[in-house]
Amino acid sequence: MRMLKELAAELVGMFVGETRLTISVLAIIALVGSLVDFIGLDPLLGGAVLLLGSVTLLVESVLRGARSPGL
Amino acid sequence: MTWSIAAPAVTAAFLAAIVEVVEAFTIVLAVATLRGWRPAAWGTTAGLALLAAIVLLLGPLLDRVPIHSLRVAIGILLLLFGMGWLRKASLRAAGIIPLHDEDALFAAETDQLDQQAQRQQRNLHWLAGITALKAVLLEGLEVVFIVIAVGAGRGLLIPASLGALAACVLVLAVGAIVHRPLSRVPENTLKFGVGVMLSAFGVFWTGEGLGIAWPGQDIALLFFAALFLAAGLIGSSLARKLRMEFA
Repeated sequence: MRMLKELAAELVGMFVGETRLTISVLAIIALVGSLVDFIGLDPLLGGAVLLLGSVTLLVESVLRGARSPGL
Repeated sequence: MTWSIAAPAVTAAFLAAIVEVVEAFTIVLAVATLRGWRPAAWGTTAGLALLAAIVLLLGPLLDRVPIHSLRVAIGILLLLFGMGWLRKASLRAAGIIPLHDEDALFAAETDQLDQQAQRQQRNLHWLAGITALKAVLLEGLEVVFIVIAVGAGRGLLIPASLGALAACVLVLAVGAIVHRPLSRVPENTLKFGVGVMLSAFGVFWTGEGLGIAWPGQDIALLFFAALFLAAGLIGSSLARKLRMEFA
């Protein structure tokens, strides 16, 4: 039972290393999906938002980690 | 299957497996040192068999999921997973969080096994075997995810599995020769590289799933990887400066 719990924790930890980064990435994907599907944004522009948004979020998350290493 | 997809997929599986197998090997070595090779060997074999069963069960099952949905789901998971590794590797490179220390892990695991032995005199071999199994299973889970994520839906499951298996064989062979924790393996550099590749795959497949036709098709992956590499290095360098300011 304990091993199953550890496995579950490991699985969750694989994708939710840092909660704020995870939520921000999911939000950007949802935003791009909505813009492309419902507003009719050029998919390539959506792709650029996804790529540059992810890269920016990464740098921001690293800097936030540097300010408060506990995160 | 094109080389521009297959090569990074197999390389990512190989490098990720090296990182994780090195960590698992340290614990298996601690088990073998204290309780002998028999429980270490059966625990490792059972762990590897369970991981292989997960790949064999999930791989063909995922091939039945519509390719469009599969790419979105796997793309999102790869992006989250890859960026998580890249973030941690950047922070480690900047000295914000400590590097993974195999010698310290070996000492801690040996100490824990010793304490278990003092508390419980019976079934020591069983406990040692379970410790080895757990190490292989927990560390291997990430490798299994990467193999399935980069392999499923692209016909790359077998090449990616072989990449991971090659890493296993390599680490075990080197480990058997040196017979001590493999602390000289540049784990953080490998993690950095794998994080870059998985993040690039993540953006590529999430985008494809959302209906984005990337210019240059598969070649776009290289551009994405270069951008994530630059972001990781810039983030790490800025984080190091911040750390020095705070110090």
